[in-house]
Amino acid sequence: MNSRLLLFVIISAFIFNIGSPDLYAQKAKKNKARLNVQYVKIMDGEIYFDIKASARIKKKTVKISGIEINIFNELEDERIDLGKTVTDMDGESRFVLKSLNEIKPDSSNTYNIVVSFKGNESFKKAKKSISFKDAIIEAKIITKDSVNYISAILTDTETKNPIVDESLTVQVQRLFKPLRIGEEFNNTDEDGTIMVPVEEGIPGIDGNLTFEVVLNESDDFGTVKAMVTGSIGVPIVDESTFDQRTMWSPRNKTPVFLLIFPNLLIIGIWGFIVYLILNLFKLSKS
Amino acid sequence: MKNYDKILKDLTPRKFNKLGIIWTSLLIVVIIAGLIAYIDQLIKGQVVTNMRDYALWGIYISNFVFFVATSFVGTVIVAFLRLTHKGWRTPLVRIAEIISLACIIMAGITIMIDMARPDRLLNLFIHARLQSPITWDVIIIPTYIVLSFLLLYFPLLPDLAILKKYYKETKPKLSKWYGTFALNWTGSKVQKAIQTKSIKTIAYLIIPVGFILQTVDAWLFSTTYRVGWSSTNMGAYFISGAFVAGVGALITVVYVIRRTYKLEDYITYLHFDKMGRLLVLACLIYLYFNINEYLIPAFLADKEEESHLRLLFFGKYAPLFWFVIIGGLIVPIIVLTFKKGRKPLPMFIMALLVVLGSWWKRYLIVTPTLLHPFLPIQGVPESWRQYFPSLHEWLITGATLAMALLIITMLFRYLPIIPIQRTADENELLKTDKNTES
Repeated sequence: MNSRLLLFVIISAFIFNIGSPDLYAQKAKKNKARLNVQYVKIMDGEIYFDIKASARIKKKTVKISGIEINIFNELEDERIDLGKTVTDMDGESRFVLKSLNEIKPDSSNTYNIVVSFKGNESFKKAKKSISFKDAIIEAKIITKDSVNYISAILTDTETKNPIVDESLTVQVQRLFKPLRIGEEFNNTDEDGTIMVPVEEGIPGIDGNLTFEVVLNESDDFGTVKAMVTGSIGVPIVDESTFDQRTMWSPRNKTPVFLLIFPNLLIIGIWGFIVYLILNLFKLSKS
Repeated sequence: MKNYDKILKDLTPRKFNKLGIIWTSLLIVVIIAGLIAYIDQLIKGQVVTNMRDYALWGIYISNFVFFVATSFVGTVIVAFLRLTHKGWRTPLVRIAEIISLACIIMAGITIMIDMARPDRLLNLFIHARLQSPITWDVIIIPTYIVLSFLLLYFPLLPDLAILKKYYKETKPKLSKWYGTFALNWTGSKVQKAIQTKSIKTIAYLIIPVGFILQTVDAWLFSTTYRVGWSSTNMGAYFISGAFVAGVGALITVVYVIRRTYKLEDYITYLHFDKMGRLLVLACLIYLYFNINEYLIPAFLADKEEESHLRLLFFGKYAPLFWFVIIGGLIVPIIVLTFKKGRKPLPMFIMALLVVLGSWWKRYLIVTPTLLHPFLPIQGVPESWRQYFPSLHEWLITGATLAMALLIITMLFRYLPIIPIQRTADENELLKTDKNTES
């Protein structure tokens, strides 16, 4: 009897285990996707959300490319679909708004945005929400006692009140990366203002410098960037020889001396060769 | 004084003997092997060579430089000796002219072999930039080919007319060919005046052109900012090196021809003695430039130069380097300084050493420098940092050398090796106007 029972238990265990999901090794475990979203507002320019998708796989952060992200504007009782975007090879995507009027704030004048990923065969669904209020930066260049300054005022759009004690970054646009000027932290005073002196001698094309005043990833206002251009730099003298006749130019810009002397030499030598060949004809006729 | 008939009998072209046939067949076999390798290179691309991102110039370019250098013999022997009225040049000039023509033709062909896409050869002319030394090379090589041909052809005219007459009865077909190329040469005063003037013009012209050719060849290297190449010494260094290679090649060929065609009455000990002195002079000048080329960088001990020189002096290229310097220059200088050393056989051995040294010298100029780039390339296989020619490269290079020798052999087969008319004139055997140019 005992042996029959044992056999029954073994067979049962075997039969029931066939259907166990643990046996299907090919049914891969889905990874958790992570979304990151940043709100960026360029004064007098575009407004966009920079979205990044990533995952931790085997203790390494992996960028998730080619996934569809939906963007919603969340209100108290409503969810407005703003559109969708797809991540690129770096797992990044930018969703651009034509203006802030495209989205609506809640009763506290806070904008609530949700980005979500539905999930796929490799990654679980994910979502991320951000909230921000609208702020503006007004930047200008002023000159005091022959020193140029970047002056900027940070204001809450709704209350029209200056935003106090927020750190703004002031930088000059350069070819590869902006060049920061002033102190490391330029906190706004009670008027929401900062004043950053501009060093002399910063080069710019025709002396033009474009300064950026940036409120960077603020918890309340997101990223706000204002730009101001002024002719207060040192004009760059163009030292390019691109249009000149040089030894390193293409053939249509060969130096004149190199066109004259070698060609004279070639014509001279080949002139003699032609003369010699003519002499051969003369010989055969004489 | 030699009898005219004997001169004719001795100097008119002769059929190949058994050895000649074996020699020619051997050359053809080598050429065919090279041709097969070249077709394979055309099909598969230059991946069949061992040239990679480091050594992008290899044995083809060093062989090309050797051919260009050897072709200088036309300028040295023919033009210099003619313009300085050295009478002993007569039996040597045609051999020098033939070597010169064969080598410069093969230099042109070798450079095409080095091109991965020879079908784009025309682009070198269509898209030429006068700022590039490669363009100067593309211009000067055809110019030197034409001049070398004319330098051979003008003095040949009287001999072709003699051969036309000589073979009229026995070989009428051959006689007709000689007649065609003789351009109705009768030896009239007008013809002689034109010929003399033309040869003088070529002799004057080929000297600057020869110098330009060697200098441009040197500038191909020295205008690139590379260790071992970036040197103001390079132009003169190449000219003196070409002087050595040319005279060395001439002595080697002269010795073989003299023995094969039994020309001991025409190419005497005097000629070997003179050529020996010329070779010593050439080697001494070249040794001086070599000292300049290596001593100053060694003295300055620039980091890159030092590693380059260390590789040459003590590294894996040291056996080759010292063979070139000692075997190819110092030993010939010592041996040929003595009168006994200037006898035909020791001269031949020394000249052979000089030619071998000259060939390997070009290899040493090209390759070690390329293996020392200023910006080492990252992530490349270790084998790319080394260079030794592949079987394809050896076969193709062997074929180009064989082709040059075949051109020389065939021209010796159908042309008088020693100018007949000039030799007869010198012996006052013909009752024509003297001073026929050759």
